[in-house]
Amino acid sequence: MIVASFANVLVWAIWVLAAFACLGSGIAVISFTNPFYASLSLIGNLASLAVMYLLLSAEFVAAAQVLVYAGAVMVMFLFVTAYLGNRADAPWAGAPSWQTLGAVAACSALFVEVIVVVGLKTSGRLSHQGKIDSSFGRPHEIGRLFLTDHLLAFEITSIVLLIAAVGGVILGSHSRDTPTKGVQQ
Amino acid sequence: MIPAAWICLLSPLAATLLITLGWNRLSRRGAGYLATLSVAVSFVAAIVAFAALLGDSPNERYHPSTLWSWLTAGQLDFGLRIVVDPLSVFMMLVVSGVGMLIVLYSIGYMDGDDEERRYFAYMALFVFSMLLLVQAGNLLILLVGWGLVGLSSYLLIGFWHDRPSAVAAAKKAFVINAIGDATFALALFLLIQRTGSLNFEVVFTQSIHGSWAINLIALGLLGGAVAKSAQLPLHTWLPDAMEGPTPVSALIHAATMVTAGVYLIVRTGSLFEQAPKVLELAAGLGAITIVMAGLIALVQVDIKRVIAYSTMSQIGYMFLAAGLGAYPNAMFHLMTHAFFKALLFMAAGLVIHALAGEQDMRKMGGLNRLLPFTYVCFAIGALSLAGIPPFAGFFSKDSILAAALDGGWYGELLWVAGMVGTFLTGLYAFRMLFIVFWGEPSGFVREHLMPGSHAHAREGPLSMTSTVGTLAVLTVIGGFLQFANVWTPLTTWLDPVARPLVEASGTQEAVSSILAVALGAAGIGIAWWIYGSRKAAAPRIAWAQNLLEHKFYFDEAYDFAFYRPAVFLATGLSRWIERPLVFGSVRELVQGVGLLGRDTSRLQTGLVRTYVLLIAASIAVLTVVFVAVR
Amino acid sequence: MKGPDVVWYLCVAGFLFSTGALGVLIRRSPLIVLLSLEIMLNGANLALIAFSRHFAQGDGQIFALTVMAVAASEVVVGLGLIVAIARQKLDLDVDKLSTLRG
Repeated sequence: MIVASFANVLVWAIWVLAAFACLGSGIAVISFTNPFYASLSLIGNLASLAVMYLLLSAEFVAAAQVLVYAGAVMVMFLFVTAYLGNRADAPWAGAPSWQTLGAVAACSALFVEVIVVVGLKTSGRLSHQGKIDSSFGRPHEIGRLFLTDHLLAFEITSIVLLIAAVGGVILGSHSRDTPTKGVQQ
Repeated sequence: MIPAAWICLLSPLAATLLITLGWNRLSRRGAGYLATLSVAVSFVAAIVAFAALLGDSPNERYHPSTLWSWLTAGQLDFGLRIVVDPLSVFMMLVVSGVGMLIVLYSIGYMDGDDEERRYFAYMALFVFSMLLLVQAGNLLILLVGWGLVGLSSYLLIGFWHDRPSAVAAAKKAFVINAIGDATFALALFLLIQRTGSLNFEVVFTQSIHGSWAINLIALGLLGGAVAKSAQLPLHTWLPDAMEGPTPVSALIHAATMVTAGVYLIVRTGSLFEQAPKVLELAAGLGAITIVMAGLIALVQVDIKRVIAYSTMSQIGYMFLAAGLGAYPNAMFHLMTHAFFKALLFMAAGLVIHALAGEQDMRKMGGLNRLLPFTYVCFAIGALSLAGIPPFAGFFSKDSILAAALDGGWYGELLWVAGMVGTFLTGLYAFRMLFIVFWGEPSGFVREHLMPGSHAHAREGPLSMTSTVGTLAVLTVIGGFLQFANVWTPLTTWLDPVARPLVEASGTQEAVSSILAVALGAAGIGIAWWIYGSRKAAAPRIAWAQNLLEHKFYFDEAYDFAFYRPAVFLATGLSRWIERPLVFGSVRELVQGVGLLGRDTSRLQTGLVRTYVLLIAASIAVLTVVFVAVR
Repeated sequence: MKGPDVVWYLCVAGFLFSTGALGVLIRRSPLIVLLSLEIMLNGANLALIAFSRHFAQGDGQIFALTVMAVAASEVVVGLGLIVAIARQKLDLDVDKLSTLRG
């Protein structure tokens, strides 16, 4: 009982930490002017998310998150940031334009709506958590699902990745013509 | 008989179509010969129909023939219908006979004109239209012929279309005729409403209920007749119509089209008799026109205009007769007038042709020795016009005047007007003759008279002289068709169709004739005194001269009363209604669409952030909507 | 082990999503916009995993993995575009890249 309640408290504590880290790093990403700092904040965001996935018994996804996102995607981001240099733009500087106000309003509205829908509309249905067995979230379970129920998604995803790779190469290659002076409209 | 009637009608139409389709493949002369031939065929066919009709007993002389049902609407049914009866055959003979002579004359007169083919096509069209009018078996086909005749008149008056005066004259003629056509059509509508048909048998045998209805019908018909026959008040187009070639003036504006009004009144006599006040109005208008036109003719200097006003005046006589109910007299005068008026026009045409197109009488003079044949024919015509025996005009005009005496106090009043008219006729006719033909040849004549070895060549080609001669002969003998109460074949012939309401007695005839001849001779004498022997100068009364030269200011009055308000209204409507409302609305629409497009394109800022913001905002709103709806 | 209810996770996911959206709308540098986009995707992923756990079905995790793969490919293309724009010496400012203006 006490062990159970201690485990519960532990889970809750980890959850609170991870959640705050997640939220904090999210705000940090959109607030930093330096893109390098913003990228690093995103890495922190991804890590905290991985922790939360673990709390939700999705071990494979947590691992994939760290490997793919933090390991590959963010590395790409950092490469490009290094290539571009320190081009900064100050998002909160100056008087708030109607664009900023509109954005804040829209996003707060979205957040409030999510809370409202989750809280009011789904109250009855979200009370019973399902029972999971030991293979939930394991790699072989994921693999089985991918190759049986969701084979189409699996194949299409591979095509998408291929296209992205080809596109990346083309976009990054040197063009044959001399680069024209940038046309500013 | 029926096939003959159809051939008579359709032959000139065939000529028109052939000339139009053949055009350049036909030589100019060829078109002329074709047109003349077609009218000659019509004339022969008319004679055949006449002969066949003679074979019938008088009560059976009525043969309608329908080609097909032309217009059906509910219970109304109007067919392409012609009728062969004494009145229509009489008119057919006059129209095709005189028409044939005039078209033949045109071959010589219009020789050398570039557009001869168009001329002969129009002339054939006109003859067809006039025959359609007189042969019509119901009032609708009559109206069709009526309209077509107006159209041909417009086309022929404006034949020389590079002359602005000719174009204006054609328009004027057409517009005034259109007024008559409108009243005619309105009368027909009323008639259909009352009787349900327009066939002659139905319409002329029924009595129309309601005095206002029959009066309106008669008034409408009279309006059409007045416009077509150039009587007061719709007379202003006839003098201007002299802009057309002389044969046109002879055929359309002397012999045939302008007499259509008289024909109409005689044909629809039974309707008019139910509206006696309108008949009296017709006679009155005729009488006023006789005097007025005669006065105006006294001051005209254009040879054709004198003859035009003379026509107006003589048709006044016919209206007078028809208005009093003396139908055979009116038709008799119609026939003799066709002869001598066409003769006068064509003789004047010989003069004009010889002087290379000059029409001003003041430049002429002394042509009696230079153009003797023309002089003789012209003199015959003028004597007939003035009513001197034994020429045709005497018989017909006097029959009208005598019949007027039988028409009560109103008839006697009109008789006085007719007598005044006779005096004026003698005066202006011989004024014209003396000015043009007597005296010494003027300078103009000496310069411009066509050179020729002898007079005959100057007078014009055979086509012109032979036809004029034929008409002169007809003018001499034509009068003997009817004489007083003694010898009345025409009255007997027309009796089944048009029974006269008034008949002059022997004494009335004698008195009237003697007085008329005396007055005519007096007019001739005064003309000789002033213009012939130049013993006295013409009296100059300034205000009278002005009044007559301005044709009693009718043109100015119509311009003020009708033309100016119409133009004012039209410009007002154009400026205040059409431009802002119609134009403006279209323009506003265009501008509005443009503005809408421009403003909508402002949404495309090209800024990604704006687009995304809009998407986010829309999602926020839509979520609320979906959640609330659930 | 009882932990927070799925509702809590959903709130976090919602907050992440809104924050990411705010970042996309506010920032002018395309690079940062891409980063914010990643945050949004992660928020969606969290919601998917949470529901997968709640309903004890692995489908949510499959979906999340697919989202991750697509996000990765999208980042590749996006970064390639940014590099190309930078190579053309254009300003890396979303507001200035408005040639498609109507």
